[in-house]
Amino acid sequence: MTSFVIAAVAMLIALVPAGITLARGTLADAVIGFELVTSVAVMVFALLAEGFKRPSLFEFPVILALLLFGSGLVFVRALERWL
Amino acid sequence: MIREVITDMLLALAVLTVAASAIGVAIAPDAYAKLHYVTPAAVVAPVLVALAVFVTEGLNVNTGETVVALVFMIAAAPFLSHATIRAIRVREAGDWRGHPPGEHAVTAEKTKDTEDTEERRRDSSRARETR
Repeated sequence: MTSFVIAAVAMLIALVPAGITLARGTLADAVIGFELVTSVAVMVFALLAEGFKRPSLFEFPVILALLLFGSGLVFVRALERWL
Repeated sequence: MIREVITDMLLALAVLTVAASAIGVAIAPDAYAKLHYVTPAAVVAPVLVALAVFVTEGLNVNTGETVVALVFMIAAAPFLSHATIRAIRVREAGDWRGHPPGEHAVTAEKTKDTEDTEERRRDSSRARETR
């Protein structure tokens, strides 16, 4: 297990407090928790791709970073208008 | 050997940044304060991860793709933060400026009217003094 995989697992464990906020907080808190979790997910994908030495998997973080922006704005707009 | 040590240090810093951000999001009192703690995880930690990949791999496709993801994240973070704050503000106050739409204009008109009246009073008093 390389240090990249260990870092990826550690990041996922470190997200537990944000996960609790996401699950138990208000709607605004949950959206903020979602933004944090998606930001970290991008890094976890990059770390796992490097850790397992799979160059093709490096496309996941790029796509997720793009989708992070769109999905975040969609959630925020829904929060503003309909929720 | 040195590369591995530097990589491990960068990764440890990235993990610490994420952990601190997650704890900050959990314990901050309100949504406005919580949003401050998203920025380090969305901007600083990806830079550290990209540097760790660069130190390990050198300048190749993997590093390039990590940097592209990093650029997207750094570009998106301020827009997303702004949109989130705006949405929370709209939910709380009805308008992102902090008051219902149209109220500001009425207040401004009232203020202007008051200023005009005071100016007229001053002019008339000056005119009396001149006489």
